[in-house]
Amino acid sequence: MIAGLPLSFAEPLLLLGLLSLPVLWWLLRVMPPRPRRVEFPPTRLLFDIAPREETPSRTPWWLTALRLLAATLVILAAAGPVWNPQTGLAGKTMPLLILLDDGWSSASSWDARVRAADELIANADSDRRGVAIVPLSEPARDVTIMPAGAARVALRQLAPKPFAVERIETVPAIERFLKATGDCEVVWLSDGVDTGRGPEFIEALGKTIGDRTLTVFEGGTSSPLALVAAENAAAKMTVKVLRTDTGLAAGVVRAIDAKGSPIGEARYAFTPQSPEAEASFDLPVELRNDIARLEIAGERSAGAVQLLDKRWRRRAIGIASGATSDTAQPLLAPIFYLTRALGPFADVRLGDRGVAPQQAITQFLDQKLPMIALADVGTLSPEIRERLNAWIEQGGVLVRFAGPRLAQADDDLVPVKLRRGGRSLGGSLTWEKPQHLAAFAADGPFAGLAVPKDVTVNRQVLAEPDAVLATKSWASLEDGTPLVTGEHRGKGMVSLFHVSADMRWSDLPLSGTFVEMLRRIVDMSGYTSNPGAGVATQSNAETVAPLHILDGFGVFGPPPATAKPLSADFRDRATPDHPPGFYGPAEGPLAVNALAAADRIAPLDISPLKARRASYTNAEPRDLRGILLSASLALFLIDAIIVALLGGGLAALLRRRAAPAALALALALTAMMAVPSQLHADGAESRDDFALKAVSQTRLAYVVTGNADVDSIVKAGLSGLTLFLAQRTALEAGDPVGIDPAHDELAFFPLIYWPIVPGAAKPPQDAINHIDAYMKQGGTVLFDTRDAVESAPGENGASQTPGMQALRDILSSLDVPELEPVPREHVLTKTFYLLRDFPGRFVNGQTWVETLPREDEEETAAQRPARGGDGVSPIIITSNDLAGAWAIRPDGQPMLPLTPGEPKQREFAFRAGVNIVMYTLTGNYKADQVHAPALIERLGQ
Amino acid sequence: MAAETTHLNKEITAIRRADGESRTLAASLPRLVLEARRIAANVIHGLHGRRRAGAGESFWQYRRFVSGEPSQNVDWRRSARDDHLYVREQEWEAAHTVWLWPDRSPSMAFASKGARDSKLERGLIVTFALAELLVAGGERVGIPGLMNPTASRSVIDKMAQAMLHDDADRASLPPSFVPSALAEIVVLSDFWSPIAEIKTILAGLSASGAHGTLVQVVDPAEESFPYSGRVEFVEPEGFGEITAGRAESWAEDYVTRVALHRDQIRTETNKLDWLFSTHTTSRSAAELLLFLHGGMMVSKTSVGNVSVKAGRSA
Repeated sequence: MIAGLPLSFAEPLLLLGLLSLPVLWWLLRVMPPRPRRVEFPPTRLLFDIAPREETPSRTPWWLTALRLLAATLVILAAAGPVWNPQTGLAGKTMPLLILLDDGWSSASSWDARVRAADELIANADSDRRGVAIVPLSEPARDVTIMPAGAARVALRQLAPKPFAVERIETVPAIERFLKATGDCEVVWLSDGVDTGRGPEFIEALGKTIGDRTLTVFEGGTSSPLALVAAENAAAKMTVKVLRTDTGLAAGVVRAIDAKGSPIGEARYAFTPQSPEAEASFDLPVELRNDIARLEIAGERSAGAVQLLDKRWRRRAIGIASGATSDTAQPLLAPIFYLTRALGPFADVRLGDRGVAPQQAITQFLDQKLPMIALADVGTLSPEIRERLNAWIEQGGVLVRFAGPRLAQADDDLVPVKLRRGGRSLGGSLTWEKPQHLAAFAADGPFAGLAVPKDVTVNRQVLAEPDAVLATKSWASLEDGTPLVTGEHRGKGMVSLFHVSADMRWSDLPLSGTFVEMLRRIVDMSGYTSNPGAGVATQSNAETVAPLHILDGFGVFGPPPATAKPLSADFRDRATPDHPPGFYGPAEGPLAVNALAAADRIAPLDISPLKARRASYTNAEPRDLRGILLSASLALFLIDAIIVALLGGGLAALLRRRAAPAALALALALTAMMAVPSQLHADGAESRDDFALKAVSQTRLAYVVTGNADVDSIVKAGLSGLTLFLAQRTALEAGDPVGIDPAHDELAFFPLIYWPIVPGAAKPPQDAINHIDAYMKQGGTVLFDTRDAVESAPGENGASQTPGMQALRDILSSLDVPELEPVPREHVLTKTFYLLRDFPGRFVNGQTWVETLPREDEEETAAQRPARGGDGVSPIIITSNDLAGAWAIRPDGQPMLPLTPGEPKQREFAFRAGVNIVMYTLTGNYKADQVHAPALIERLGQ
Repeated sequence: MAAETTHLNKEITAIRRADGESRTLAASLPRLVLEARRIAANVIHGLHGRRRAGAGESFWQYRRFVSGEPSQNVDWRRSARDDHLYVREQEWEAAHTVWLWPDRSPSMAFASKGARDSKLERGLIVTFALAELLVAGGERVGIPGLMNPTASRSVIDKMAQAMLHDDADRASLPPSFVPSALAEIVVLSDFWSPIAEIKTILAGLSASGAHGTLVQVVDPAEESFPYSGRVEFVEPEGFGEITAGRAESWAEDYVTRVALHRDQIRTETNKLDWLFSTHTTSRSAAELLLFLHGGMMVSKTSVGNVSVKAGRSA
């Protein structure tokens, strides 16, 4: 055993071989690596080159060091190193006393402890020493010296106990033994956890042992974790994880139901240096109520298990108040205090809003709530009383609070007979001072609660003095009058607070005692009021027998013979007599845990003891030869590679292969990156270009028909109109854009000019859909059939032209509003110029727009000079070939002659175009504008 | 002995390959270019006038008939013009002899990893191709100590045969012999022999006034010295070995030393008005062939110093 290291050698003499290392060093330094042999014709020229440096003839120091390290490893391996060797003991003849920690905290490292004890016994056996084993959990056990074989059997029979062990209780037995035996060697196999009286034990042990040899085994195993203080809070179930070793950082707590199936898992993580962490289960309350057992995953000990019984279940509690429901001051209402007091450990249900207390009680009964609190509810109807009584008989818990209404009422749902009217204390007409709380009945549910000194009661309802009043009163005032009374009825219970649940009669509802009292009462109520489920009727004197008991490893088993029944209100931590587990009936057992909620564990400080320290060897003795030899082999391999590198072999290889490979790689990468980006670029870029072009300026747009003549004329026409607009109006539009309605985005354009080419194919449905959407979103399409001159004379002549046929074909699949010829007062005729009609190359064509809303009154129509709809007409149809009239050649001369060719026709055609463009841009603004004088007059200006 | 056999085997392989490749090379050389150059240079090869009377076809001079001569020598047409008898003499024309020396020593078998041909192969290819070309042009080609000058059309076969059956030592430099004054000597070798040896041989060869060309055929590795790490360099012909600790640090010195060696050779050849060039096996054999061809032309017609640049000659 080497100091500080659990390492020993089988053949330590071989370590002398390490002395040869310096010689090896010198040899390795001197012997140069073998050079590469190359035939080289001009070698004779090389003879003339003076050798300038010959350093590589000596091996680089680090290479030598590498080889030396490899050689060292070989020598060490030859010496047979063993990790975790068998532990030896000092004494040779004295008997051996083994103290064994066997509380719950020793369970997680039990195997290591037993192995250590086994080793000790084996060593003692070989030295022919007697062995005595003292499990520290059994103070009554007689300590005797056994031969090693018997000791081994005794050791096998030991198991960790599921409760916390008070080691100090065993000290007298040890003392007796030491006195009887005289000289002996003591070994304490400690678990390193102080569950309470650790320092006392250390002191006592030190005194008892005196100057005998003591070896303390500690560390080297994982230190135990413990679970305490499981709490079913309003939103989640929380549990605290305790540790003694700050090294353990995080883990998982598992929740398991009564049948053993997992319900959920929660992670916990210790903050550095903190001895405890919290795990919280964020589960629905119904699931949380099913949790019967919490355990730390991977931790085998009773302390790492927390058993939960009905006390951890959140009950649903119905609260009904007789106070008026118009709670102008909700913070003063009794419901508020009750809700806040019950909230931390129960789910409070209130009656529906605006529901009378009686209805609310009916609801609660229908919901089968286990507990109902009635705050100052007075008279109850007979049916409800009956139902309540039946419910109480079956296990319901009714808690009532006094108040003015109760004081006037008279019913049997109170535990004691009440006097009419209340009593007020400290008032001007009374001589009594406000009363303080005196005591809680020792046999009542509030037994053990601290009596608050600051609670005063100003008013209360008084009970009729009665023979049984004293047994029924759970809490009383200083003058002996009862404050809380209660009585068991059937399986259920009725209880009455003789004060109100708000601040009017006392300040009890403000105190923490109020919460505790309610908690006690709630604890007595069953989980549900289903028959059989409630166990609230158990009287305090009743004892419950053990049902399932945990063993030291946290596994359920049948109760051992030593487990004794305990009283139903047992709240303490487990003891040897009452090991942790479930007690009582299977349907509503009582849980006893190894640790109470407030218990904490601490690392055991053994420094006051004069003792040798030893560590549990966590692993089997391990032969290190294999590892060392493989390591040295690896080093030799590395050495070979380095030599190859130094010889230039790899360099040559790299030089030859690297360039083409790198080139190929670079090419491949470039190709990979280039190809997809090119593919992407086309579509997106052209679309972006189009959008950028379209939105950077207002532009007129036309539908490209595919007929080159028509398209060029239309383009020239719109260019001419754009020029005209720039000359006459404020609109300086960009060059017109030809669009394909099937593919291009139309939303950028206020007006789309669509020349109809007779005989052309109908545009695809895509295009129709786009146009439809465009018109619906407020765009205007100007259809021009350009064939007014071809129309046959007569009523229907204009609609029989081929262009009209083609247009009708297109419109057949469009959602076109009702149309009408442009009326005289239409805003289209007034948006910029005042126009009568809309001539183009031809004058006889009719122009159609969306029908304006009908005017109801004739006179208004006459008065209003302009009318416009709510929006802009989505469609304008003409046959006058407007674009033909607007078309100009690049030199500014008109492109096409006009028919009939009146002098001002082209000017009017342009004006018509200006009006249309202005109409699409400004909407019905001009229609309102004509009212401006009237509006201004009305404003009195 | 084993090394010897290995080298011989290598040589046989090299000769076989060179045999085939040289024919291809000779065939692939643009004949027309050669032709054009031949014309431009007036006389390149073929029959060369010797500036004296002798057997030939072109007129040289008329001389008086000397009695005792056979009477059929009399040029009667000329003699009819005056009272004397004249004999028409032609210029003596004789074929040029070109001695080719391909170095076949073990050092020539060296080929670095990147090289396509060994130096030996390259030397043989060029020798064969040159021989083929020269014979096609009417010259006589021989290998000193191995093959007498011949103008046979199957000169490559003859050379190859001669080499295959040669059981003499493979010397680096041509044996000392006395070529005729007008002979042309081409030595293809790596010239890694000490400068003194080279000087001696050169002096012997040029003693009779013959003109020659030295071509140093080197491997790329011998130019750039691409070695690194600890390397032991071995002279293939058994002239010793040297170990470089860090070969990469020797490269610079080596290149300088090679340049010095070449300068020494060049000084020597310049003195003799011979040509010296270097050829790296990584370059085309045709390049060297053209250079040799051109070099012979120049040497025929030039007066004074002419520098011909080809290959890596500097």
